Amino acid sequence: MTITRRDILIGTAAAAAGASVSLPFFLPRYRDDRRPKLSRVAILCIEDYEQSIQDSLRRGLQLFRLDVKGKTVVLKPNVVDYIPGNAINTHPGLVVAAAECFRELGAKEVIVAEGPGHQRDTELVLCESGYESLLRENQIRFIDLNRDELMSVNLSADYSRLKRLWLPKTILGADFLVSMPKVKTHHWSGVTLSMKNMFGVVPGNKYGWPKNILHWHGIQESILDLCATVPIHFVIADAILCMEGNGPLNGLPRHLGSIVLADDPVAADATCIRLMGLEPDRVPHIHEAAKFLGNFSPDLVEQMGELALQPEVPFRVVPEFEFLHSAG
Amino acid sequence: MSEDLCAVLATRQLPNGGWPALSSSSQASIEASALAHVALVPDSGHIGDRATDFLLKVQNPNGSWPTFIGDDHMGSWTTSLALIARRSVAETLGQRVHAGEWLIDSAGKESSWFWKWKFRTTDRHVRFDPDKFGWPWIPDTNSWVVPTAFAILALTQPGAESSEVSKRRVELGIQMLLDRRCPGGGWNAGNGIVYGRPMAPHPDDTAIALLACASYARAPIVTESVAWLACVAPRLSAPWSLAWSILALAAHRQPIDPLVQRLSGWTGLDEVDDNSTLAVSCLALNPLRALARFGIAQ
Repeated sequence: MTITRRDILIGTAAAAAGASVSLPFFLPRYRDDRRPKLSRVAILCIEDYEQSIQDSLRRGLQLFRLDVKGKTVVLKPNVVDYIPGNAINTHPGLVVAAAECFRELGAKEVIVAEGPGHQRDTELVLCESGYESLLRENQIRFIDLNRDELMSVNLSADYSRLKRLWLPKTILGADFLVSMPKVKTHHWSGVTLSMKNMFGVVPGNKYGWPKNILHWHGIQESILDLCATVPIHFVIADAILCMEGNGPLNGLPRHLGSIVLADDPVAADATCIRLMGLEPDRVPHIHEAAKFLGNFSPDLVEQMGELALQPEVPFRVVPEFEFLHSAG
Repeated sequence: MSEDLCAVLATRQLPNGGWPALSSSSQASIEASALAHVALVPDSGHIGDRATDFLLKVQNPNGSWPTFIGDDHMGSWTTSLALIARRSVAETLGQRVHAGEWLIDSAGKESSWFWKWKFRTTDRHVRFDPDKFGWPWIPDTNSWVVPTAFAILALTQPGAESSEVSKRRVELGIQMLLDRRCPGGGWNAGNGIVYGRPMAPHPDDTAIALLACASYARAPIVTESVAWLACVAPRLSAPWSLAWSILALAAHRQPIDPLVQRLSGWTGLDEVDDNSTLAVSCLALNPLRALARFGIAQ
């Protein structure tokens, strides 16, 4: 059998066509590899919100030797809605304690900022969840990210194909952004931790309530694009009273008695997922984020404070996320 | 009190004639500007003229409105608010018709056959009937309660074009609202039941939906929702929800005097950072006049 010039031309064209179709699936969808050589995580045992959170947090933060002198620190808690008895929101006592600690560390200003994804009346959520009075008493400024001034930003990763988003000036202008999630399972994303918490920076006034455009473009994909674009500098996760099952609103409370601190959101979330008794590598956005946003492999994470012990009974999840359990 | 509050709102007008969402900002928001327009015009002379000019100038070429100055031109939910705000401005008839056409063409993504099929077959965790669709916050997303309610109000304004298509869309929008209510009454963003669990209603979403359903006062879902709102309104801890509740309960002929008194005495209301809250509070302190300005027949 002889190979003609025509065969070679057809073969080359076919190979080129095949490559043009398949290459996008193999090319990385992120611009920069931001993984630190070594990430640091600390687990603090804090049984409840009554004990002195601020003292424990101060000691925990000292482990990281953070330099926030003269910086604008933005604390981004997870404040979604209020349903009496449900552990939905990052506890306001923890947020105020964090604000005081960053003030002590010399921050120029500490701002609490959030754009609730379910409730349009942010002030009502703040009042009913205990934030309004505590922030006022401690003279901490709150910015409603659903109504903040907006700037157009090209996304630094392309998982969602959104390419561009309008994002709040307060977030883009932060020198030091602290994601403060409530540790919960989530019926659409498996878990909601420091990375998923960034959905709250997407402004409702522009994109609506809920921020449905992120659902249409893929929740896991949108989390990756947001976290690539808006770097999280530090994580303080509220794992004292958590939520399992049908989160983020209607799950059941679950006590873990911990606060997780980390200088890497991927390491923070992976640690929280282990504390929940789930497998971090099986959460799609964590698995992908470990390629460019941070570390979750235990040999790349320096573990401080308490040990990350898995609970005897893992957190319950909705049936679609049963695969997050190690036996699943 | 209403006049004092309106005076505060007037002082927050930007040089371009619009209002920012938060008083600390300089980026004009169409929601805040349209609500301020409804609250202040036609009683405010020069301020009202500038507010009207502002809304005229920022209309998108396709007839819609953006959500803020500098936004993309594809259109948004604020188109309905801008239409309501400009209902009394006779010289803007051409632009109103153009906006009305854009609004009639705009629909939730579940209105296409493919997504209807998907929501009926594979994606059934949120209970809703995809045949009953309304309006989205922005194009290419689902219908939600608040943008649908505002669109219904905009398309049923006295003097608005009432073509057969428009009437059909309004009727479908009402059906969508009734379908998406929470079990036990009231509305939230638009998810009544998720994963088999009933979701809690929100006072402001409920109030805005009830304004759109003012002509359907006898529907059991509406009466149930009015009862829920009347029950929670006296205990509300934020002026935005309280102000919308007053307007909705007034539209459904419920007693509102104690609520108006409570809002009137609200500490620090004139210092509220959010201009939309300030505008709706101005309106709620004079509810009958406000309902007329929203085009809701009493």
